[in-house]
Amino acid sequence: MSYAYLFKYIIIGDTGVGKSCLLLQFTDKRFQPVHDLTIGVEFGARMITIDGKQIKLQIWDTAGQEAFRSITRSYYRGAAGALLVYDITRRETFNHLTTWLEDARQHSNSNMVIMLIGNKSDLDSRREVKKEEGEAFAREHGLVFMETSARTAANVEEAFINTAKEIYEKIQEGVFDINNEANGIKIGQQHSPTNPSLPGAGGAAGAANGGCC
Amino acid sequence: MFSNIKERFISAIAPDLPPLPGAGERRIGAGSGHLHNSPHQRLRFGGSGSQPLPDKFPYARPPFLQLLTADELRASADHNVRPIIVPRDINLLPWGTGYAECVNSGKSEWNEDQGAFCRQVLSDPEHKHPDLPYTYFGIFDGHAGYGAALAASHQFHHILHEKLVDCLELLLPRDVDPSSGGGDGIQLNPTFPHPIYFQRRVTKDELIIGALESAFFNMDSLIAQDNDRYRDAGGCTACVSLFIDGKMYVANAGDSRAVLCQRRATPDRQQTDTHSSIEPDPLEVSCYPVPFSADHTPETERERLLNVARLKPQLMGQHYVAMEYAKRPHIKDMGQRILCRQGTMRGWTYKTLTREDLRMPVVNGEGKRSRLLGTLGVTRGFGDHDLLAINTGIQIKPFLTPHPDVRQRDLTQVVCISDEDNRDGDYGVLVMATDGLWDVSENEGVARIVFQTLSKYPTEKHRYTMVAQELVARARGKINDSGHWRLADSKAAATVDDISVIVIPVSQYYKEHVEWTQNYKRDLEHRRRQAQANMAQEAVTVLNGVMAEEAQVVEEEEEGEVVVHEARTSQKPQQVEDGVDETLVVELAPSLEQVQLKDKDSAAFDIGKKDNDKDKEASTTRQHLQQQFQKGRKGKGKH
Repeated sequence: MSYAYLFKYIIIGDTGVGKSCLLLQFTDKRFQPVHDLTIGVEFGARMITIDGKQIKLQIWDTAGQEAFRSITRSYYRGAAGALLVYDITRRETFNHLTTWLEDARQHSNSNMVIMLIGNKSDLDSRREVKKEEGEAFAREHGLVFMETSARTAANVEEAFINTAKEIYEKIQEGVFDINNEANGIKIGQQHSPTNPSLPGAGGAAGAANGGCC
Repeated sequence: MFSNIKERFISAIAPDLPPLPGAGERRIGAGSGHLHNSPHQRLRFGGSGSQPLPDKFPYARPPFLQLLTADELRASADHNVRPIIVPRDINLLPWGTGYAECVNSGKSEWNEDQGAFCRQVLSDPEHKHPDLPYTYFGIFDGHAGYGAALAASHQFHHILHEKLVDCLELLLPRDVDPSSGGGDGIQLNPTFPHPIYFQRRVTKDELIIGALESAFFNMDSLIAQDNDRYRDAGGCTACVSLFIDGKMYVANAGDSRAVLCQRRATPDRQQTDTHSSIEPDPLEVSCYPVPFSADHTPETERERLLNVARLKPQLMGQHYVAMEYAKRPHIKDMGQRILCRQGTMRGWTYKTLTREDLRMPVVNGEGKRSRLLGTLGVTRGFGDHDLLAINTGIQIKPFLTPHPDVRQRDLTQVVCISDEDNRDGDYGVLVMATDGLWDVSENEGVARIVFQTLSKYPTEKHRYTMVAQELVARARGKINDSGHWRLADSKAAATVDDISVIVIPVSQYYKEHVEWTQNYKRDLEHRRRQAQANMAQEAVTVLNGVMAEEAQVVEEEEEGEVVVHEARTSQKPQQVEDGVDETLVVELAPSLEQVQLKDKDSAAFDIGKKDNDKDKEASTTRQHLQQQFQKGRKGKGKH
């Protein structure tokens, strides 16, 4: 399906905060209580509409474990948006936010929109991090903040879409260089007829497109 | 501008051809790893024209990566980020086998490498023998398109399986006990000659190596057959490992590489553990790589290529010369003496430069930059049936071959002391990877990283995946501000090629083999008991009817014989296995008697002999009895 823009997202945060579940809830509208550890990176995609325009979100769900940190760092590059996730029932995941943020700021392009997400809001009885603390952290570092629950789907949609809105606004303001794919934004076929398609689907066009001169 | 060159070039090599058919039928080599970094052309002569041919297989990544949607495929092929893809479900590969891959930096739209694996069982259709399991891994590095590598990853294991099934009866362990009905192994299939009639000694090793070799040739022919029906597949290298019957075989054609990474169990290691003193990294000295393949590039295959050129000079047209020059000849040097070597010479000699010497050498360049006919950097593999040389349009395929070199390791011969806890070191970890890894990594460095990473993750289920991921991450490096990929630990260029790595814990296949052998022996014992019971029963039935008097004697003797056989098998099961399994012997017919003498002790050949020379030797009572048993069995079978 054609789109006006493709935005690339990355989801980061400590292991077990629910990154993969947020992605699954957003792309498949389902919750999987037992999820294997993510090794490396997984991908998801969904089409949304902003301002009457079809926008495709391509989401990179990364491994949260320390062992993967050096590899996930290389994925910040080329992302237009990041969801930085912590678990409201585990304070240490909140305490690690500074490190994540430093990492993200250092390795991404400066215009990347970062959304702070306190996940597992359905587990209010086991809450260790107050909503106000999240809000304060976001304010301090210039992030957008939201509490979500991948289990109940509360605010999940909003988290992804609000990030997209912010990116879209930045495009309108001319902040993003949309012609540089390294910024995590790609103009879709509606704007550029030469957009390469998948081989097979688009007949012979795909394979012959090997980036020459 | 590019298309200008293209058009001119096409009219130069094939002036009579109509304008190029659909995009699907041409490839422009935009610096695909193995191809010269300038436009080259492939054409299909006599092609029907405008309609682009379909893909035989739709483009996909290896199934165990579960990149199922177009979106996932697209994201995994991000040339700006080059994500390292590992299987999301570790259980899809056997024994925690590691796999990781990464797309090129933009030289081709898709990752043209492919990986494949398959676990299969060879079973005797009549179920007279236990099943023989095997595991196969393959890695294929495509060039000038993804078709050939994709086809190989889909089809090679089917071909290999057929080849193994072809010689199934020689591979399956022979039932060595005569009391279990005698020559079952021999009479299994009357049309299939027993090895005893062969003119040459043929070992199981040779059968498996032959299966691999012929599978390589068949795969290449299959791609050739599909050439007219499907979109041009390009070509690919092939590196394949096969674990079967307690052995590891690696077959390779092209410049992918398999290296067995090993580690000595050093005493220093234990010392460091106990004293925890500061010592140089013990891994530095204790890890060592054992190559299990040889790269096939124009440089390493210079001799073979020049031989082809020498024997069939017409393959070079008027464009190439089968010579090598110490210095590139120039027209101004004409008539002067120049150091050169001709054909397959090893040393250098002088000759006077003539006009012919100005032609392009069949093999030029050195090392990774060496090229065949100025075009191709790899000289063995599948496909490339339509590949034409740059600027001359000469067919390249006649110089290429799918023939693999095959190496083998007997895992039952590995010495491994269980106390040392060094299974991965002793049996080794097999790293199979495309040249994306090897272009920027030394074998030694890879062996070190393997064991460094394994010791970092001593218990994790996905530790071999971590190894594969680490190897890919290092070879890919990091992108710098000017958009160039650089190695992390130096300023040197990282690879811009596709990278695929398989990391196989070899010891698991030994363990598997031991378990299988135990099961097999139990199974055999069970069959034997059953057969004995049946035979005794049959003997009684038959003899009762025929000769009542003799029957009593038979029963007595038969019991005695059972005892003898049991003693024999329990005494030396190992020897029997060696003697029979290793060599399916086979001497010339005149020396048959000799063989019999030699193998007097081997139960298996006892059977063979008796069976074959029944008439000659049917003088003793024992023989007589056995014949009768068999008649009885056969008779029963017919009813």
